[in-house]
Amino acid sequence: MKAILLMVLVATMAAADYSVVISKKTAFSALSMQQIRDIYLQKRHSVGDKNAIAVNILGHDEVREIFETKVLGMDRNRLNTYWIKQHFQGVTPPLTQPSFESVKTFIVNVEGAIGYLPSDMVDSQLKVVYEF
Amino acid sequence: MAGWKRYSVGLIGFVCNLYAESYTLGHGVQMNDWMSVGGYFSSELESNRNEDSFTLDDVAVMAYGDINPMLSYLAELEATGFYQKNFTADTESGSQKFHFERMYGDLWLCDAYNVRFGKMLTPVGYWNLEPINVLRDTTSNPLYSTLLFPRFLTGIDINGYVPNTEGLKYNLFGQSTHDLDEEYINIPNTHFYGLSLDKEFSMEASAGGSIGEYIALSTRERTRFVQANAKYDVYQWGVTVEGIVARTDYADNRTDDTISGYAQGIYRFNPQHALVGRYEYYDRRHDDYTDHIGIIGYSYRPIYPVSLKGEYQWHSQSGEDRFLASFSVLF
Repeated sequence: MKAILLMVLVATMAAADYSVVISKKTAFSALSMQQIRDIYLQKRHSVGDKNAIAVNILGHDEVREIFETKVLGMDRNRLNTYWIKQHFQGVTPPLTQPSFESVKTFIVNVEGAIGYLPSDMVDSQLKVVYEF
Repeated sequence: MAGWKRYSVGLIGFVCNLYAESYTLGHGVQMNDWMSVGGYFSSELESNRNEDSFTLDDVAVMAYGDINPMLSYLAELEATGFYQKNFTADTESGSQKFHFERMYGDLWLCDAYNVRFGKMLTPVGYWNLEPINVLRDTTSNPLYSTLLFPRFLTGIDINGYVPNTEGLKYNLFGQSTHDLDEEYINIPNTHFYGLSLDKEFSMEASAGGSIGEYIALSTRERTRFVQANAKYDVYQWGVTVEGIVARTDYADNRTDDTISGYAQGIYRFNPQHALVGRYEYYDRRHDDYTDHIGIIGYSYRPIYPVSLKGEYQWHSQSGEDRFLASFSVLF
């Protein structure tokens, strides 16, 4: 019994808190951290021959900051500098949605959409392509 | 079906804009789905052996956006030397005429193949692609970036990521017509072709190089150049190096090289305060003109799109030492 409890505890601790997800209908199925970074920094707009559309949670959400630090590898200051330079190049940041529910709805309904969610919101409509 | 999908994406995109981020200085204003607007200005104070002057140097407005997922545009109008006050001679002057700085469209076919057409910044090195005062860490531009290749291109630039590589980008560009605004280019020409490659090794490090050829309109002198650039930036400090060798067939039937480059280092005490140092080299062998330039500067940004900078330049050429200060804002 103790062993089972220990296994459950380890499994719970090992599970990632957040997942980068795409729609189940989207053709690609796995992305590297570099690919996710390039899509979110608007350097790339596709994966293979399939379009990719990044979506962010609006504002200074804690999960967004964790995503930016862990996956994009940039803190708020550095990211702000990056987008100001991109503004001069005519490039705007990814779309935003006001809640994780709307992020999920967007991903499910728009082919190629990619976003991040708390892992416990992932269901059969979504594919996990990266965890953090 | 494909049309319906595009319509759906457009509709969702429109709804998304209802939740657009609030305006932040330096990020522009999103007017609607297909247009964002912005602008910038810079003012400069210079003191050298001959004169002290103030210049409201750049006043610019820009608009850009996506017409559809494949087609986007950017237009920028700029007035340089908008207002000048010479304190030594006690004179005032200025030009409020706006010029086409950039005016181009982008036809995106895939990440490996994007076609840019119109007037654009020449895709050579780092400095030329971020030329405005507020984005730079010094008030001055290195001679490397202003004298040895046309800063603008009116033509076509095919660019993208080289397939099956990690982070290797290319630009294949050409011009065979007059500049869109010939009053507003450092080297007017009707013949300019080149190829640039840039490899991003990581978020911190990249390197690249270019080759090109142009014929100056005024002298018909042909110049071929080879350029290289490298950058390492870990945010608290960074180093950028660029250099060029340009070989010109001069009108007097001589062929001579001009070699120029710079190495610039920056140390950021925090996001607001930074110390900058730069060494420049310029050697034009045709008339034996050589200059070594050392620059030390300080940059203060209360927020990133607002920049206050000061620098002092030491030149090996006598009488060229100067102090420069500037204030610039990006909207």
